[in-house]
Amino acid sequence: MRSARGWRLAGIRSALAAIVIACLATGPALAQTTVRVSGWGGTDVAIVEELLARFVRPVVEPQGIEVVYEPIADDFPTYLFNALSAGTAPDLFYVDIFWAESLMRAGQLEPLNDYLADSSVLSADDIIPELLDAFSLDGKIYGIPKDFNTLALFFNKDLFDLAGVPYPDENDDWNTLADKLRRVSALGPDIYGLALQPEFARMGALAFATGWEPFDEQGHTNLLDPRFVEAFSWYTGLAADGTGVHPEDVGQGWGGGALVTEQVAAAIEGAWLLGFLRDAAPNLPYGAVPLPRHPGTGQRGNLIFTVAWSMNSASQVKDEAFQVLEALTSPEAQQWVLERGLALPSRAELADNPYFQQPTPEAQANRIVFLGASDGFVRPFKFLDYGGSWLDPINAAINSVILGEQDAETALAAAQEQLDLLTGR
Amino acid sequence: METVAQTAPAAGRPRPVLDPAAAARRRWARAALIYVLLLAFSLLFVGPFLFAILSSLKDNPAEWPPRLDPPQLNPANWRAAWRLGKAGGGSGLFGQFAPGAVVNFDVTYFVPEGRTPHPPEVTISRRVPGAGIGAVVPDAFAADYAIVSEVVETARKPAEGGVLVTYSFTIRHDGQGPAVDRLPLDLLVPIGQTFHSATLAPNRIERLGRVQSWNNITPGLVPYVFHNYNRVFNENYSRTTGKNLFLAWIRNSLFIAGVKVLTTVIIASMSGYALARLRFPGRNALFIFILFSMMIPGQVTFISNYLVLRDGVFGISRLFGVDTLLNTFTGLIVSGLCGGSAVFIMKQFFETLPRELEESARIDGAGPLMTYSRIVLPLARPALGAVAILTFQGAWNEFFWPLVALTAPQDKLLLTVGLLNLRRAYGAVALDWGPLLAAAIISALPIIIIFLIFQRYFVEGISFSGIKG
Repeated sequence: MRSARGWRLAGIRSALAAIVIACLATGPALAQTTVRVSGWGGTDVAIVEELLARFVRPVVEPQGIEVVYEPIADDFPTYLFNALSAGTAPDLFYVDIFWAESLMRAGQLEPLNDYLADSSVLSADDIIPELLDAFSLDGKIYGIPKDFNTLALFFNKDLFDLAGVPYPDENDDWNTLADKLRRVSALGPDIYGLALQPEFARMGALAFATGWEPFDEQGHTNLLDPRFVEAFSWYTGLAADGTGVHPEDVGQGWGGGALVTEQVAAAIEGAWLLGFLRDAAPNLPYGAVPLPRHPGTGQRGNLIFTVAWSMNSASQVKDEAFQVLEALTSPEAQQWVLERGLALPSRAELADNPYFQQPTPEAQANRIVFLGASDGFVRPFKFLDYGGSWLDPINAAINSVILGEQDAETALAAAQEQLDLLTGR
Repeated sequence: METVAQTAPAAGRPRPVLDPAAAARRRWARAALIYVLLLAFSLLFVGPFLFAILSSLKDNPAEWPPRLDPPQLNPANWRAAWRLGKAGGGSGLFGQFAPGAVVNFDVTYFVPEGRTPHPPEVTISRRVPGAGIGAVVPDAFAADYAIVSEVVETARKPAEGGVLVTYSFTIRHDGQGPAVDRLPLDLLVPIGQTFHSATLAPNRIERLGRVQSWNNITPGLVPYVFHNYNRVFNENYSRTTGKNLFLAWIRNSLFIAGVKVLTTVIIASMSGYALARLRFPGRNALFIFILFSMMIPGQVTFISNYLVLRDGVFGISRLFGVDTLLNTFTGLIVSGLCGGSAVFIMKQFFETLPRELEESARIDGAGPLMTYSRIVLPLARPALGAVAILTFQGAWNEFFWPLVALTAPQDKLLLTVGLLNLRRAYGAVALDWGPLLAAAIISALPIIIIFLIFQRYFVEGISFSGIKG
């Protein structure tokens, strides 16, 4: 009895002790200016931690700036929007171009023009102009792009060799490329030329090559524009004659996965494919070339996917935060990121970096993707502040036509009807 | 129809006597039906979990069509992994490629008639992982220290339509460099010559059959069979603190769940007793209020709770020199000290205890506190067990609130939120679902173990309250 009570008291005591300890185990007191930096988790955590340790802390710590890095596990935009409304958002954070515009318009991001004008390290001219434009609104710069991706045509050399077809090259236009792909797909009933991911994030690049713009001056979208219809028909038409295939028909969720099955000769992807290939198919003999030119305009189109470092407009330590931003996007930091093949950084001068001269397929593919940002009709992957609701009708149309559920005309008319509701007639 | 009439005799009529053989048949048929149904249901519920465990062992858990016999489950490969791990200079359980390693490797190809057999071209490749911390800070490469011997033909055996040719080669460590975790291998043969077998099954066949590729030919048993599990533990450490993140997440979850169990058991039993036995004004209103708190979903109150934590519970935390309780364990614990359902369970239980016990205690001169601690609490062990286990399970699996209230730093995350981090690290970048699946299985283990040991309390918890959790 006594021992049972003793145990019980000990239990209660240890519980109280645990609570007290938990109460005491809290963050350290502020000693100097702290700049909080945040982005999403995953591989980025290791990259940013390395950047902070190698390039940022050595520069800013002597000036009494402490950098605290708070990566968010996942679903970063939700976290950020919540934290901004609650006033707990970090001083510097990632902003993806896809949801940047709503933050810019809401005044949550600090315009950086004045800081850039005063800076000796970072100037607006250093950054690839297409990227900087993507984060600018009404002449104000709301973010310094840290890295980016564009689309390129990745292909499996084995299948082209087997079919005796010359590899795709940078001179291909839509017709010559379709011809090559068709000849490869003739290898067998299970072999296809191109993985047709049913998304505007792929097909949109082709639409831009025709000179089509996603929005006119009034902000309306016209999918029935003959130029858009031409791109749409070319892309979905590849499925109709068996040259292209929906990735799900080869048991995969995306173009990169389809490429790895060795049943599909080519896929339109960005440099994100390279990390996947390293693990999933380290011996795949792949090449990358720019997307084909439109036969009429003679131009390529492309989409820019990019992420910037932006500053919280409510930050209490803006000048210090900008110093951290300078160090994060310094030439040395960006070169380090590039040379490890981690991402394609945003400084224009890096186009001449020796990394791109290496003969490895990975460096060459990265070079093609890097150059894609400044070649032809390039638009950021951003649709005013509509985001996914603008993309969904178009994606649904592409998907249904590739699957043969609808013809192009019906699908586009339905999508246009939905976009009319969204963007106005 | 007839059977119904037979088993449910009308009143007044004599019950028809059944032929014993028919009765036995029917009994057996009924038992068989019950067993088939139970088996079907348990398969339905356990099947996905077993399949997840199976998939977590595979190189590519998302493979299609899924194989039920991955090489990781083949005992021949276990023996090979053990032997090769030792040959590589590590132990049989955990292999490596260390100075002094002499790794003999055999591979057999099928060569169709009329073709000349070609020895494979052996490459030890420099592979950088596509995702995770290894992509940023690569380890040493075995390729820099490996010396590959000449490839020699060691056997030739006729087979249907051709011959089976076996080649052997040896990979040595040059003795200068460090011990390396992995020894990747690629073999290239001309098209038409097909892979038949090898000392260890390859991880993938590439280039239309021409390339056989191994991630690591000196794995040792554990990294071979539990490849993804091994990666979860090895590849997740914090660059700044050097701490193993996955272990830290498990520790955090255990700590929070443990503290919550303690606080809940204490608070729920005391308040449950008070509500069940003590008479005081507003008792019913209070109980209804507690019930009401159970009916509000967390999503409704999380914004105000978040703001309360942000301001340190109305500034109280400032007394301890802390500005905010966001991103602290304290905040997480304070916001989940005790749930209404635990109070409810305890109250319901105390009401079933015979009053006479407490009355006799009172006659002996015990006050409410003494009665509670000496008489009631020892009797309440079943209910306390149920509350403790349900609380532990709830706290261990809790996801939404920790995701909101504890977002940084990385080594303070709870396991559920950490899993989300793995999804981002492996799944979103390289569509490499293995480590995530392995981590999810690990996170399910404590609950399964607790369930197996304390099944009784789970069931009691449900019978006390009529609800779960």
